[in-house]
Amino acid sequence: MSVLVDIWNVCWRELKRFRRQPARIFMSIAQPIIWLVLLGNMMQAVSQIPFFPTKNYLDFMAPGIVVMTTIFGGVFGGLSIVWDRRLGFLNKMLAAPISRSSIPIGKMIATSLISSLQATLIIVAALVLGANVITGPLGIVAMILIAMVLCLMLSGISLALGALLKSQETLMVVMNFLTMPLMLTSSALFPAQFMPQWLQDIAILNPITHAIEPIRKITTVGWDWAMILPDVAIIVALTLVVITIATLLFRRSIS
Amino acid sequence: MPKSIIKTENLTKIYPGNIKAVDNVSFEVEEEEIYGFLGPNGAGKTTTILMLITLLKPTSGRATVCGFDMAKEQAKVRSCIGYVSQDTAVDENLTGRENLLLQGRFYHLPKEILEKRIDEVLEMVDLTDRANSLVSTYSGGMRKRLDIAEGLIHRPRVLFVDEPTLGLDIQTRHKIWEYIQRLREEAHMTIFLTTHYMDEADKLCDRIGIIDYGQIKVVGKPNELKNQIGGDIITLKFTNETNSYANQAIEEIKNLSSIENVVPIKDSHNVVAKDGETTVPKIFEAASKVGATIESISLKRPSLDDVFMAYTGRELREETGSKEDLMKERIRMWRVRM
Repeated sequence: MSVLVDIWNVCWRELKRFRRQPARIFMSIAQPIIWLVLLGNMMQAVSQIPFFPTKNYLDFMAPGIVVMTTIFGGVFGGLSIVWDRRLGFLNKMLAAPISRSSIPIGKMIATSLISSLQATLIIVAALVLGANVITGPLGIVAMILIAMVLCLMLSGISLALGALLKSQETLMVVMNFLTMPLMLTSSALFPAQFMPQWLQDIAILNPITHAIEPIRKITTVGWDWAMILPDVAIIVALTLVVITIATLLFRRSIS
Repeated sequence: MPKSIIKTENLTKIYPGNIKAVDNVSFEVEEEEIYGFLGPNGAGKTTTILMLITLLKPTSGRATVCGFDMAKEQAKVRSCIGYVSQDTAVDENLTGRENLLLQGRFYHLPKEILEKRIDEVLEMVDLTDRANSLVSTYSGGMRKRLDIAEGLIHRPRVLFVDEPTLGLDIQTRHKIWEYIQRLREEAHMTIFLTTHYMDEADKLCDRIGIIDYGQIKVVGKPNELKNQIGGDIITLKFTNETNSYANQAIEEIKNLSSIENVVPIKDSHNVVAKDGETTVPKIFEAASKVGATIESISLKRPSLDDVFMAYTGRELREETGSKEDLMKERIRMWRVRM
């Protein structure tokens, strides 16, 4: 039980810190909203292409933008641990009788909770702009939950790299390098079936696709479990693997 | 015989690259003692602390803290110690009270006890008024005080303080010394600290261990160590040090009855004499007898710096030796931080 307490304490600190930085909250949602407004209007004509999955491009892209926000939040989830290491705060936590694994896990959960807040705000913005979620409030909750799982995974990758690299500069560069390809080779902004075959193959391998697809089914098709569950299972399984690896790498980095 | 609460046997840490940060260190710290490691940067002080608080595995040797084996009973060691690092690791984005709350929760203190303790330690370090301000508004001294308060929240039996007054101004340093002394008196805590400030070791510590290149050179009470030097220290510089007259003069001086020892240092000589004031004129006489001229002369009571010099052959004040030493030191510090 004390492991859960430790995890909560680590998480509590991150949430408190986040709340103290209103600029961070604002900026983290300002950019996706600009994307929604600009891209949503600019690409409106795309939805006229025959066989385009939705009538309205905004309906199509809103899930993509929610996931994008999650990616931006998640990829920098490992930064705080690198900072803590540099500032000596990590040693202070380690000198206390707390569970070692609670540090990375608490930080991942905090990142994920913060991204759920951002996702909610983006969804509200998308609804205001005219996007539709046919499954209603329950669909929105499911959407946020999937985004949170994806965020856990990405912050796990970031944390694992942080444990290996130990320098925030390198970590920033590496994660920045990963973000764009992850976004563009997924079906976040454009349906995979319109991509060239080689890109479609990459999109299938890209975990981001497996988070976007079920979200998009929920918002535009409905509770089509046969289409939703396999992708969700893939995402959850991958996330568990990443969390385990990140925790092990963190433990190795402190011993 | 007072009980020892920290005990190390041949503690050694070799970092990759064959850098011996701590070399066969054995010492004991008694209960309710303020024990200090005095040595320059890179001497192995922080590495020793990190091993004792279970954050770093020794290459060889063993240690017990509060009677628990540092390698086998890590959780028990962690529960009975407090650690205040030289980094002043307080969270700027939290208030002072929140920092303490977090720290207390890390030690699994029940809520009611924690609330009371927080008020207690805030009072102790005079931060009650500013407890609800963000730490980013605190001065350096306030941060250090908060940091120390955090180390006390669970009432550890042993408090490890790494460079308690690094980079603080003189008034703040005196304050911090007061707090540390009060801890020992009121809370009956044992305090293990490291410092490269002589005055800190001298005023604050009951006993000090002088450490250089990872080895303990000598352990003792500051006064005893200073008395061991054997007298006052006269530093003299000849007009022409390499001149043969100077060497003859040194021989003459060595024959004076009150002289204990003559040690050449860089471009002058340190003369240890029993009665400094009456020895100075005799030195002038001896020098003029062989025709050597003295450019400057000074007399002082022995300090820990002289003790350091006597045991290590170099001044504590000289921060760096060669470029190679500096590089080695950087690598050491880097390893420690990682």
